[in-house]
Amino acid sequence: MTTTATKQTIEFNDKVVRQFMWASMIWGIVGMLVGVIIAAQLNYHELNLTSWLSFGRLRPLHTNAVIFAFVGNMMFAGIYYSTQRLCKVRMGSDILSNIHFWGWQLIIVSAAVTLPLGFSRGQEYAELIWPINIAVALIWVVFAVNFFWTLAKRNEPSLYVALWFYIATIITVAMLYIVNHISIPTSWTHSYTIFSGVQNALVQWWYGHNAVAFFLTTPILGIMYYFLPKAVERPVYSYRLSIVHFWSLVFIYIWAGPHHLLNTSLPKWLQMLGMFFSLMLWAPSWGGMLNGLLTLRGAWDKLRTDPVVKFFVAAVTFYGMCTFEGPLLSIRAVNALSHYSDWTIGHVHSGALGWNGKMAAGLFYWLTPRLYGTKLYSVPLANFHFWISIFGILLYVAAMWVSGIMQGLMLNSTNAAGTALTYPNFLETLTAIRPMMGFRVIGGALFLVGMILMLVNLWLTARSGKAVVDTREVTVIERNSVDNMGLKKTFFADPVTYFFGGLFLLMGWIFLPKGADITALICSLIFGGIAVKKFASSHDSWSQWYERLLENWLPFTLLTFVAVALGGLIQIIPTVMVNRAKNMEDRIQQVYTPLELTGRDIYVSEGCYNCHSQMIRTMLPDVLRYGDYSRMGESIYDHPFQWGSKRTGPDLAREGDKYPHSWHYNHMKDPRSTSIGSNMPAYPHLFTEKFDQKTLPKKIATMVTLGVPYPAMTDVEIKENAIKQGIEIVNRLKEDNLAASPDTKIVAVIAYLQKLGKYDAPEVEDKLKTAPGIPGLIPGPSNPDKNRPGGAE
Amino acid sequence: MSKKSLDTEPVLRPHEYDGIQEFDQKLPNWWLFSWYIMMVAFVVCWVVYYQVGIGMSDEKEIATAMAKIAEYQKKELEQIRDDKLWAMSKDAKIVAAGAATYQATCIACHAADLTATIAGAKLPGLALNDQEWKHGNNPTQLLTIIRKGAPDITKGMPPWEPQLGLQRVVEVLAFVLSKHTQGESFTLAADSPLKK
Repeated sequence: MTTTATKQTIEFNDKVVRQFMWASMIWGIVGMLVGVIIAAQLNYHELNLTSWLSFGRLRPLHTNAVIFAFVGNMMFAGIYYSTQRLCKVRMGSDILSNIHFWGWQLIIVSAAVTLPLGFSRGQEYAELIWPINIAVALIWVVFAVNFFWTLAKRNEPSLYVALWFYIATIITVAMLYIVNHISIPTSWTHSYTIFSGVQNALVQWWYGHNAVAFFLTTPILGIMYYFLPKAVERPVYSYRLSIVHFWSLVFIYIWAGPHHLLNTSLPKWLQMLGMFFSLMLWAPSWGGMLNGLLTLRGAWDKLRTDPVVKFFVAAVTFYGMCTFEGPLLSIRAVNALSHYSDWTIGHVHSGALGWNGKMAAGLFYWLTPRLYGTKLYSVPLANFHFWISIFGILLYVAAMWVSGIMQGLMLNSTNAAGTALTYPNFLETLTAIRPMMGFRVIGGALFLVGMILMLVNLWLTARSGKAVVDTREVTVIERNSVDNMGLKKTFFADPVTYFFGGLFLLMGWIFLPKGADITALICSLIFGGIAVKKFASSHDSWSQWYERLLENWLPFTLLTFVAVALGGLIQIIPTVMVNRAKNMEDRIQQVYTPLELTGRDIYVSEGCYNCHSQMIRTMLPDVLRYGDYSRMGESIYDHPFQWGSKRTGPDLAREGDKYPHSWHYNHMKDPRSTSIGSNMPAYPHLFTEKFDQKTLPKKIATMVTLGVPYPAMTDVEIKENAIKQGIEIVNRLKEDNLAASPDTKIVAVIAYLQKLGKYDAPEVEDKLKTAPGIPGLIPGPSNPDKNRPGGAE
Repeated sequence: MSKKSLDTEPVLRPHEYDGIQEFDQKLPNWWLFSWYIMMVAFVVCWVVYYQVGIGMSDEKEIATAMAKIAEYQKKELEQIRDDKLWAMSKDAKIVAAGAATYQATCIACHAADLTATIAGAKLPGLALNDQEWKHGNNPTQLLTIIRKGAPDITKGMPPWEPQLGLQRVVEVLAFVLSKHTQGESFTLAADSPLKK
């Protein structure tokens, strides 16, 4: 190692770490409080006090607060603290650190205001409106610049495994966030995503699943790799396990998104890829757990005395449980039971509370005494926090398991001959899980109490000391001794070329037509054999290449980017090409009228998708309960798609014309008048508020830009058309002695609900005519589902 | 396997990061094998489904199941006659089962007492306890309405057969018929589609 004797004393920027830490605790408490409230609303619909405190609007606030405010701030605290020490240098820029902190808090505040007001993009964890999206992207770039600047001026030649995970986090979240939020604004508070239907579904869950992967998992694994060995004062278990599980995790995770869309109208080959990549992800995930838990070997006694170690061990254990449950839920047959049920809710909470929540607690209990140069105010209180939170999570998760499995079994149960549903009434299954939903409130509340105790304990700890200025004498490294690897050395190295060769052949196996596919598979197996042999013989040169790579942050980052970009590209590009009207097999959705589109925007804004799906799966019980299964073309004009991920209420994909207008009118006014035992909030404000006519022409124009075949209409015609349809609905309601004004929101919502499930089945020529201006197909890889022997039925 | 690596002194890597050191332990074999098994499962399942063509597509599976149900219904319906339905309306067990389904499914529109009113307010459905019928008063005519829904669904009843199954539909009908007598006089509603 080339080092000069130049020594330098550096001062770490720990002020920003302290800021992020307190912000995380406070927002965490807020986010979890909202969680307890909405959990209670599910059992007591009366708690939906006003429109802006209704479940559909608060649930996005809960998820966004916990993910981006609680875990986000926690992640930044951990990253800022450990990166400076692992790089032996102060953060790149104090100004950027400041902008990052305050900008992020401003984003959170604006989210907390806009979501309850009903400003929403209607996609899960991507609800925030476009001006906030831009702010998030900008602040993320500020963070990235600050972070990579720190790497560039580091005084430690080699990058430690924690930094690998931070790098993967920063570049992948940027990629996912930007692609999934591309939309065309129609006003300052509203936009339409450029993707629609199945394409939107795939992109959304590529984002949604990998938000879990790269926002809630990789940064926290990085934090584990720094703080866990620090806390237990033991070496990390295995360096080579770190390498294997890091690269396999970032590469495989990206492919698993479609497991959120199993048994839907997503093409089956994508479902199969999603399922099997999820199964292959199990071992890489457990690699992280093993490296965490086995690091404790020789230090297990600390588990009895140190609350920090208790929290870390419990967190890593929950991580292991959660990453075992995830692949299990990704099996199509298991998913048929678990999807749309509370089982998924239990799964995400064992991750968010068990893994993230406990890692955060461990981190903060470790950091605070060090950041304030004092001792923890009360160890018994921290221990009490540990036990109350463990009990809370276990109660929560167990309740959700019972609830999810019970309701899933009831909904999917048919009589022995398979000719009728056992529980035809959806509400019967809801009534059955109500006690479980009650236990969930208690479990969540216990966890929240623990969080508050932690805040108090750490606040008293901080008051007993004072902010420490941490300095360290470091040896300055010679700049040209590191970061000197060229692109050729990076990409034309054996490990990289063998990986690309193998992947290329495997893709040939999946996409090539019959005969060629199996040849590609055989070639890739032979190629894999050669790669293993090569690795065995030149093991040392491969390790040297990797150790060199670790001294080059930019090449490392580029390779990480390639690894995370591949899966998305291979899945999304063919889907972008297939999601065109002229490619649809049998059914094409009917275009929404101006009034129906308005109703749809209200549906999105009220967050109806939080409880209602619009996707009848290819399963007999779904078909019996809700009607014929949904086709790909039936949501082709849906910007955004509203397939949903949870059925607290029944599916609505074919709700149109199922009931008279009066039914919907009464149902929205008082859900229990038509559906006894329902827990749906009432929507009285829809009956008084007028819908937005002003931006309607702009919305239609945007839809036309996006390729929805609206006939040419002037602004006046659009508004007239809406009011005319409104009057028709009002007249129908009048026949049943119900009164409404044609320009109120309820009329638009009824118009939309009655349109759900309407489709045309045009001939091919007609399809081409109805979808003008759509660019021709790029000749793409062939579709595995069509290549199947006897498959293209 | 993994036990052996526990006993031998692990190799400590020379480099140290802010005081953190790393062992370089071998990858646990059970872990590696669980991973290999998943990879093999991926290749095998994919080859079996996509290259060999074994296994039904989801669409085909649904079509088969639905065809089976249609066949069962056809067989059942062939045996259903008006007088058989009337006979069922005298069977206390069938009527009780029908009443339960009616309670869970129908009262939102037709009311628990079949009057289609609740506390004087009109519900969306039609009264089922009077002698005025919109779609005819033959049990088989009524059965069709419950099974398939009203001809103009926007104004009336959704089809209930898919969700309830034929047997429950028949039971509900038996329950409604139990409030009537065979051969009672009836009138067609003013807006009846049967009136020419």
